[in-house]
Amino acid sequence: MPLPELLAVLMVVAVCGLLFAGYPVALTLGGVSLAFAALGHITGAMDIGLIYALPQRIFGVMTNTVLLAIPLFIFMGVMLERSRIAEDLLETMGRLFGALPGGLGISVVLVGVLLAAAKGVVGATVVTIALITLPTMLRHGYDKRLAAGTVAATATLAQILPPATVLVLLGDQLNNSFQAAQLAKGIFAPESVSVSDLFAGALVPGLTLVALYLLFLAAVALLRPSAVPPIPPDPAAPHGFALVAQVAGAMVAPVLLIVVVLGSILIGLATPTEAAAVGAVGAILLAALRIKGAARWPAYSGVVGFLALIALRATIPQTLLMALMLAVAGGLVFAVHQVWRAGYLAPTVTKTTQMTSMIFAILIGATLFSLVFRGLGGDDMVHRALANLPGGAAGAILAVMLAMFLLGFVMDAFEIIFVVIPIVAPPLLAMPGVDPIWLGIMMAVNLQTSYMHPPLGPTLFFLRGVAPPEITTRHIYVGIIPFVLIQLFALVVLWFVPGLATWLPRMLYGG
Amino acid sequence: MVMVMIVVVVIVRHAGLRFALVYSMSFAYFTALADRIDRLNTAIGRAAAWCALAIVLLGFAVVLLRYVLGVGSIWLQESILYAHAALFLLAAAWTLKEGGHVRVDVFYAHAAPRTKAWIDLFGALFLLLPFALAIAWFSLPYVERSWAILERSRETSGLPLVFLLKTLIPAFALLLALQGVAQIIRAVGRLVPPPLAGEGAEDRRSEAGGG
Repeated sequence: MPLPELLAVLMVVAVCGLLFAGYPVALTLGGVSLAFAALGHITGAMDIGLIYALPQRIFGVMTNTVLLAIPLFIFMGVMLERSRIAEDLLETMGRLFGALPGGLGISVVLVGVLLAAAKGVVGATVVTIALITLPTMLRHGYDKRLAAGTVAATATLAQILPPATVLVLLGDQLNNSFQAAQLAKGIFAPESVSVSDLFAGALVPGLTLVALYLLFLAAVALLRPSAVPPIPPDPAAPHGFALVAQVAGAMVAPVLLIVVVLGSILIGLATPTEAAAVGAVGAILLAALRIKGAARWPAYSGVVGFLALIALRATIPQTLLMALMLAVAGGLVFAVHQVWRAGYLAPTVTKTTQMTSMIFAILIGATLFSLVFRGLGGDDMVHRALANLPGGAAGAILAVMLAMFLLGFVMDAFEIIFVVIPIVAPPLLAMPGVDPIWLGIMMAVNLQTSYMHPPLGPTLFFLRGVAPPEITTRHIYVGIIPFVLIQLFALVVLWFVPGLATWLPRMLYGG
Repeated sequence: MVMVMIVVVVIVRHAGLRFALVYSMSFAYFTALADRIDRLNTAIGRAAAWCALAIVLLGFAVVLLRYVLGVGSIWLQESILYAHAALFLLAAAWTLKEGGHVRVDVFYAHAAPRTKAWIDLFGALFLLLPFALAIAWFSLPYVERSWAILERSRETSGLPLVFLLKTLIPAFALLLALQGVAQIIRAVGRLVPPPLAGEGAEDRRSEAGGG
C-alpha cells in the first residue's frame, strides 16, 4: 500500500481508537486529522497547503441557509419540552387509552412520535420519554422488559421522523455528494436532492415503523395481557365527554403545530428553514398559553393574526394586512416577554445554543478530517474498494451499511453523517440505479437500528442512565430485542421495496 | 505557560516544602487565570445564546414578508446567517466549559476522576490546542484578505460586513484555545493538588470523596 493511503487508513484507525478515550468528539476529529496532515507533510505524502481550504469550508458552513433549520428546530423542541406540553399530552392520552390492555404502551408510542417530530435528538428524547413514562408504566404493573424496550425504541424513532435534525444534516451532505457524483460522471447540470425530499422520503418508512410497533404492542396485549395491564379508572379524573374535551385540549395545539410545520414543507409551500422558524414561533406562543395567570391575548393575537394573514393575504386591502401584521408582531413580542418572565426562555436559548454549537463543532472537525483524508488519497482508495466488491452496487451498499451499523455503536449519528457520507456517498451515488433519497433513508433507518442494538447501542446507555433502579440492564437488552427485529425487518423490506422511500417525494415534487 | 506548569509539577514531585510553596503560589495564580477564562467565555457564550431568539424572530419576519407582502429582504436574511454563525462559533468554548460537546463515554462515564483529568489534560494539550491554533493560523491570511478590502456582501443590498463575519473564525479558534488552557489548568489541579491549603483544598476533598 502506498504511503499516503497507509496514512489515510491509520488516521481512521486513530480516530476510532482515540474517540473511545472520551475527549469531545469534535476536537478529537480535528486534532487527529491535523496530526496526520502534519505527518503527511513531513513524509511528503500530502500537500499541507490543502489546509488553507479549511477557512473557506467553515465559511461555507456559516453561510449555509439549509443548516439554519437546525437551531430553529432545536429551539422548537426544547421550548415544547420546557413548557411541559409533552408531559400533559402523555397524561391525558394515557387516560384515554389506559382502560385498554396495552393502552398505556400505545400512548407512549404515539406521544413519543409527536415528541420525536418536535425533537430529533435521540439522547434528549430518550431521557424525556423515559422520565415521563417509565414510572407510570411500572406503577401500573407493566412488564419491565416491555416498558424499557418500548421507551428505548420509541425514542430512537425520533431520529428518522421528520423534521428530525438528522434528516436535515443527511439531506445537506447527501446533496453535496450527489452533485459531486454527477459532476464526476460529466453531468454539468446536476440534479439535486433536498431536505424536503428526505423529509417526504422518511415519512412512509417512519410511519410504517410506528404501525409495526403498535401492532407488536397489540399482539402482546392479545397474547399476554398480564404484561400490559389496563389502568384502573381514576374516579376523580374526568370521564366521558369531559375527558374527550381534555384530551382534545391537550392535543390539538401541539399536533396542529407539527402538522402545519411538516405539511408546509411537504407540499412545498415553505422551505424547511422557513417552516422551522414558524414552528419555533408557534412553540413560543403555545408555551405562553400555558403560563398560569398570564394574559391569553398575546398568544391568540399571534396565532389568529398569522392564520388570517396566510389565509387572506391575497384578498384583503393593504391597510388591513398591515393591521394584522401589527397584531401578530405585538402578540409575539408580549408572548416572548411572558415566556421570559415564566423562566422558559433563558433555558431554551441556552440549550439550543449548546446543542447547535456541539453539532457545528463536530461538522468543523469532520470538515478537516475529510480534507486530510482526501489529501492523502483516501477517497480514491474507498472508491476503488467499493467498485471492486462483488455484487456491484448492491454489494457496495451492503458493505457501507454494515460499516455504518458498526460505527453507530461508537459514534453519534451526526459524526457518522459528517465523516462517512462525504467519503462513501459520491462513489455509491455514481453507481447505476442508486437513488439518493432511498440511500439516505436506508442509512437513517440503519443508524437508528444500530442506535438501539444491544450491547452497545447508545440509546440503551441513555436509558440506563435515567431508568429507575428496578430496571436492570438485562431488562433493557431483552426488552429491545423485538423492536430490533422489527427494525431489521423494515430494513429488509426497504431494501427490496425502494418505493417506500421514493414514492412520496416523487409524487409531491415530481421527477 | 503549559511547559512552565509541567516543570513546576515535576519539581514539586521531587522537592521539599520550598517548592511546595512555590507550586501552591503559582497554582493560585493559574487557578485565577482559569477562572478568568471561564468568566470570559461564559459571558460571551451567554450573550451569543440570545442570537437563538434573534434567529427565531428574524426568521419569522422573513416568512411574513415573503408570504404576505411578497418581498424578500436580502439584508434581513443575511443578518440571520450572521446571528447563526455568531451563535455556534462564539458559544463553542462556553459549550466546552459546560460539558456540552458530546463525548464517546462508554469508558469515560465510568472512569475515575484522576483518569478523567488525565484524558482532559492530554486531550487539551494534543488535540484541542493544535486544532484550535491551526484554525486560527490558517484562517489569518483568509481574514486578512477580507479586511484589506473591507469585503462586503456579493449582493448589492446585502450587509457590507463580510470581513467581520469571517473574523468569527479565528475568534472561535482563539476562544476555544483559551478554554483549552483553562481545561489544562483544572486537570493539573486535580492531578496534583497544591500541598499547602488554599484554593485547591476543595478539589482535594471532592477527589477523595469521589475516588
